[in-house]
Amino acid sequence: MSPITDTPQNTPASIRAALDRQAVAERLNGKTGRRFWRSLEELSKEESFGTMLQQEYPRFAAEWDPMHRRDFLRLMGASLALGGLTSCTRQPVEKIIPFVRQPEYLVPGKAMTYATTMPVQGYGVGLLATSHMGRPTKLDGNDLHPASLGGSDSLVQAAILTMYDPDRAKTVKFKGRTNVKGWKDFYADLDKEMAGFAETGGEGLHLLTGTITSPSLATAIEQALETYPKAVWHSYEPINRDAVYAATEQAFGAKLDPVYDVAKADVMVSFDSDLIGSGPGHLRFARDFAARRNVEAGGMNRLYVAESQMSITGAAADHRLALTPDEQEKLARAVARELGVAVNGATDTVHADWAKEIAADLAAHRGSSLVVAGEHRAAGFQALVFAINHALGNIGSTVSFIEPAAVRPGGQMESLQALSDALGEGKVKALFMFDTNPVYHAPASMDFQNKLRGVNFLVQHGLFEDESSEWCHYHLPGTHFLEAWGDCLAYDGTASIVQPLIEPLYQGKSALEILHRIATGKEASGHDLVRNRWVKSLGDSLAWKRALHDGVIANSAAAPVQPGWAWSDTGPAEAPAQSGKLDLALLPDYSVLDGFYANNGWLQEAPRPITTLTWDNALLISEETASAFDLATGNLVEVGSGEGMVRLPVLVTVGIPEGAGVAHLGYGRTKVGRVGEGVGASVYPLVDPASPFRASVSVTKVRGRHAFALTQEHHSIEGRNHLRVGTVTDFQNDPQFVWKLDEYSAKYGRNENAPSIYPHPHDYSQGPQWGMVIDLSACIGCNACMVACQAENNIPVVGKEQVAIGREMHWIRVDRYYEGRSAKVEVHHQPMTCVHCENAPCEAVCPVAATVHSTDGLNQMVYNRCLGTRYCANNCPYKVRRFNFYKFADHETPSLKLQRNPNVTVRARGVMEKCTFCVQRISEGRIKARVQNRPIADGEVVTACQQACPTQAITFGDIRDPMSKVSAKKESTLDYGVLSSLGTRPRLTYHARIKNPNPRLAAALVTES
Amino acid sequence: MTQVFHPAANIIARLSIVVILGGAIGTLVFFDALQRSPYVTEVNMPREQIVPFSHKHHAALGLDCRYCHTSVEKAAFAGIPPTKTCMNCHDVIWNEAPILEPVRESWRTGEPMEWNRVHDLPEFTYFDHSVHVNAGIGCADCHGRVDEMPLVWKQNDLYMAWCLDCHRQPEQFVRPRDQVFNMAYQKPANQAELGQELIEVHNINTANHRLLDCYICHR
Repeated sequence: MSPITDTPQNTPASIRAALDRQAVAERLNGKTGRRFWRSLEELSKEESFGTMLQQEYPRFAAEWDPMHRRDFLRLMGASLALGGLTSCTRQPVEKIIPFVRQPEYLVPGKAMTYATTMPVQGYGVGLLATSHMGRPTKLDGNDLHPASLGGSDSLVQAAILTMYDPDRAKTVKFKGRTNVKGWKDFYADLDKEMAGFAETGGEGLHLLTGTITSPSLATAIEQALETYPKAVWHSYEPINRDAVYAATEQAFGAKLDPVYDVAKADVMVSFDSDLIGSGPGHLRFARDFAARRNVEAGGMNRLYVAESQMSITGAAADHRLALTPDEQEKLARAVARELGVAVNGATDTVHADWAKEIAADLAAHRGSSLVVAGEHRAAGFQALVFAINHALGNIGSTVSFIEPAAVRPGGQMESLQALSDALGEGKVKALFMFDTNPVYHAPASMDFQNKLRGVNFLVQHGLFEDESSEWCHYHLPGTHFLEAWGDCLAYDGTASIVQPLIEPLYQGKSALEILHRIATGKEASGHDLVRNRWVKSLGDSLAWKRALHDGVIANSAAAPVQPGWAWSDTGPAEAPAQSGKLDLALLPDYSVLDGFYANNGWLQEAPRPITTLTWDNALLISEETASAFDLATGNLVEVGSGEGMVRLPVLVTVGIPEGAGVAHLGYGRTKVGRVGEGVGASVYPLVDPASPFRASVSVTKVRGRHAFALTQEHHSIEGRNHLRVGTVTDFQNDPQFVWKLDEYSAKYGRNENAPSIYPHPHDYSQGPQWGMVIDLSACIGCNACMVACQAENNIPVVGKEQVAIGREMHWIRVDRYYEGRSAKVEVHHQPMTCVHCENAPCEAVCPVAATVHSTDGLNQMVYNRCLGTRYCANNCPYKVRRFNFYKFADHETPSLKLQRNPNVTVRARGVMEKCTFCVQRISEGRIKARVQNRPIADGEVVTACQQACPTQAITFGDIRDPMSKVSAKKESTLDYGVLSSLGTRPRLTYHARIKNPNPRLAAALVTES
Repeated sequence: MTQVFHPAANIIARLSIVVILGGAIGTLVFFDALQRSPYVTEVNMPREQIVPFSHKHHAALGLDCRYCHTSVEKAAFAGIPPTKTCMNCHDVIWNEAPILEPVRESWRTGEPMEWNRVHDLPEFTYFDHSVHVNAGIGCADCHGRVDEMPLVWKQNDLYMAWCLDCHRQPEQFVRPRDQVFNMAYQKPANQAELGQELIEVHNINTANHRLLDCYICHR
C-alpha cells in the first residue's frame, strides 16, 4: 500500500486560520444562522472542506489510470465476451453435507441463541450469542444480566471478530517455533518443572494474571498456592482500579466496590468519571442515565461533568467544565465545603460560581444525588467524593458498597512491582503469564523486557502471540470466551457462566484448564471444573441448567455492606500541573481499551467517539494549548516524562483543558497481528507507577508530519437544519418549539404535507409500514450501533487509506456536532443511516432499478441488479449510501467466512450498499408470523442497531399500527425529520435533543461572558 | 484505372451485411436458447448421487416427505436426512446391499455422506420452505412428481421469471394445507375461486403485490 499523502486540511496554515478567532466568532454569532459545526477546518472555511463537501467521493478521479480510447474498447470488448461466456457456464455442483447424527433441537438454517458472559478486564458482561449451525456469528446483551440489560458496546459487538481473527495463536510454540508435539511436550516439560517445585514448596514459582473475578479460576489459583505454598500470584491490569480500593480504605477502612444506582439520581456530578462510557457497569449506568433523559416523561436528571478529557459522559453532560485533575479537585473541595464537609486547607477555585450552584443543586437533592470520581483519579480525591456523597446522605441510596468482585482487589501496581523486583533479583525460576502482556504494558521502569531473560521456565498463555511471548520459552494458544468454559462476576457481584458455543478453533486451552493442571498435575476439562463448582454451590444440576439458560446465576448480586465511616481530609491529592509542561492524561481507548483489541479491524475502523479518529491514537490538545505550544494537527512531537519518551502526532480538538493533553493507551503494538501492528504509538512508556494515568510531560516539536484518517467531515450535509437541540425550558415554554427551529416544519408541522418534487406513487395504507425513531436525548455516541451493524450485515473493513478518502463502509454512522467554542463547547451526536424516504431521491435516478421501494416502505437495494453508476449516492441528500470501490469484503480467509451472517449477501466490488432496516430480520419476523398465521407483533422485529443500543435510543416498528411504540414516538412534538423540507418523507425521524441545564448556572454564565 | 471490384462484389457486400446482421441476431438467439436449454438449466437431467437413492421407491413404500425432510415446515431449509435416518431402516433391511455401503461406511466412521445439490438457487436469493408450505404451495408445484423420480432431477429452471409467475398470482397455485404433501394433487376446476378463498384463509398478504417486493427474496 502506498503511504497516504499529506492532506491539505491538516496543514498548520489551516489550523492557524482556524484559530483566527474573530472571523470564527463572527461566523458563530449567527451571521449564517448556524450553530453547529463539525471540525475546525469547517469553521475556518478551508478549501479542503469544500472539496469534501462537493464530492460525494472525494478524490475518486485518482482511481482511473490514464486510459486511451482503444485500450478502453479492447477491455470492454474482452469483458463483454467474457461476461457473455460466463453467463452460459453451468452452475458448479454444490454439495449438501448432512449430519451423521443430527443433534437434538438443531434445525438446519435456524439460528440458535445461547447465554454466555464476556469478561472485560475481568468483569462479566452477560451476553446472548447467536449461532448458525454451530458457528457463533453475533453477540448481544442479555436482558437478564444486570451489567448489560440487553445493551452492548462496541467491544461486545466486535468480540466475535477477535474469535475468528486469522492472526490468533494457533499452536503451542517453543522458542517461537511450532512445537510438533504441542501440548504433550509442554506438559512433559511442565511436569519436570513442577516436580522440582514440589520439593521446594514452589520457591521461585510466580503466576501473573489480569484482574480475576472468576470463582473457578480463583479456586484453581488457591489450589496452586496450596500445593506450592511459596509460590506467588501477581495480578496486574494496566487499566486497574487500585485507586478505588485505596480510596475506600481511606473512607471506610476496607476495600470495597462502589455500586451506583444511577436511576435514582436526580442530580449527578462527575469528576473525570466516564461513568456511562467505559469501565465495569457502564452499560447499566448508561441505560439508567438515559431512562431519565425523557422530557415528556418528566423527572429529567441533570449531569455536571468536570473532566480532563472529552469523554462520552462529558458529551452527555448538561454542564461541562474542562479542568485538569488538580482543578477538578479544587472544585470538588469547594463543593464539599459548601455542603459542610470538613475539608481543611484551601478550597478556592476559579469556578466558585459553579461550586456554589452545584452544591446548591446537590443540597436540594439529598439522598437522590450522586457524585462520582473517575476510577483513575487519586485515592484522596476519590475518598473526598465519597465524603461528599456521605454528607448528602447518598450512601445506601444512590451509592452502595459491596465486597469487591475481584478476588484480590487493588494493589496491582505494587504486585507487578514485586514481580519486577523478584525478577531483578533473580528469584524467579518459573513464570506463568495468563492473558497479560507485561513487556508491552508494564511501566518502562520495571523493564520486563530485559528482566524476563533470567527466568528458567517462562510461559505465556494468550489469544495472540504478543510482545511478551517473544521472550518466553513457551507460548500457549489461549481460548476466546466463546470457546471455553468459565465464570465471571459483574460490577455488582452478579455471577454468570461463560458458556462456549464452539470447540476451540485452534489448539487452545483455557487459563482455567492450565492453572488446574499446574495446581493438581491432573488434566480436567473446563466444563467439568466449572460445572462441578457450580453444581456444588447451587445445590443441584437443575439450578445449573437454569443458570446456563438464563445466563445469570439468580440472586447472586453481592449484598451491600454497611461500612463504618472513617474518613478525614488529608488535603489535596492531585498534584498541581507544572508550568511549561503538558498535563497529560493517559486513558483507555474506546476501541482498543488497553491494547487487547488492537488487532480488531472493526474497532480500529470505528471512528472514536468525539474525535472521529480511526486507525490511530494521537496527542489530543485544545486550540489554546496548540497556540501556546505552537502546534497544529499533523505535527509530530516528542513527549517525555520522567519515565520515557514517545513520539506522537498532534490532533487539535476541543474540550480538553488548557495546558493539558490526552493520549490513549493501547496503540503502537509491535506484535499482535496484521491489523494492529504499527497502528498509532504506545504511550505506556510514559506511565509512572506512582500516577499511572496522569503524567507531566515535556513537548518538543520534531520534524515530520502525520496524516490522520478522520471521518468528522465525511458525509456532511452542509448548512441544513439536521440537528435540533433545546432545553427543558424551551420545551416547557412551547412543546412545539422543535418544529419552529425550521421554517418549513414551522409551516407544515411534521412536514408530511410539505410539497415534494418527487412523485408519490406508492400506497402505504396496507400491511406493516416500517419506521424508526432515534432519540437524540438518549444517544450517547458510543458506537455500539455502528459495530453491531457491521457484525450483522457483513460490512467490510476498508483500512486507513480508504477511510482517509471517505470510503468507510459503515451503514450507520454517528455524526458528531460541536456547538459553541473552546472550553464551553457542547457535543451532540446524531446517528445517521438510510432514512428510507417515502419519496426517495435515489430511486428516481437509478438507471437499472436496483434501488426501488417496497410496499412496506423500505428503500430496497438489490445488489445483483446494481451496476455501480453511483447516481443514487450522488442524489442522496443524507449521504448514507456506500460504494464498494474495491473488493473490500474478504472472500478468501476461511475463519472470517465463519463469522458472516448467512442471511445477508456479501457484496462484491462495484456494488452500492446501504442500511436495509435489517431486512433479513424483517423477513425472519414476517415469515415466522406467516407460518404461525398471525400478524407481526410490535417489538418482534428488532434491528441490529436497536438491539445493541445500550440506552434504547432507537425504536423500530410498524408506524401504521397506532398502538406500536414507534407510532407513539412519532406522535411526539419532539419528533422531526432531517431535511424533510425536501418532501422526502423520511421513515427514520429523530427526537430533538433536550438538555436540562441549571437555569441559575446558565444565567450566571451569560453574565460572565 | 480498372475496376478494383467485380460487379459480383455487390452481391458479396449485400450478402455480408445480411450474414453479419443475421449472425449477430442468431448469436443472441442462440445464447438465449442456450440459457433456457436443459444444458444450462439442467432441467429434467437426473443427477448422480453417492447412493442412487430412489424417491420413487421410498415414496411408494408410503414414507412421508417429512420423515426425511424434517424442517420443511419450520425452516428455510427443508433438511437432508442425517445418516441416522437411513440407518433407522437399513440397519435391519437391505443391511448388506452393496449400493448402501456408503451409508454404512458413514455410520461406521462418523464421516458424513456428501450429496449433490439438485435445486441450487444463487447465493443472493433467499428461499424459505416453511413459508411456502404453510401458505399452501405443494411440494410438487416446484419439485414436480418427485415420488415418480428414481434419481431426482429439476422439474423447473428456478429462474426468477418462474418464481414470479406464482408471486404475481398466487391464487392460481395455492392449495388447501392438507394437500401440500399430496404429490398427486390436481388443481380443481374452480381454482380461481378456491385460490382467492385460500389466500384469505391462509392469511397471505398480497396487498399492493407485496409478494413482488425485491426484499421478499433478496437481502
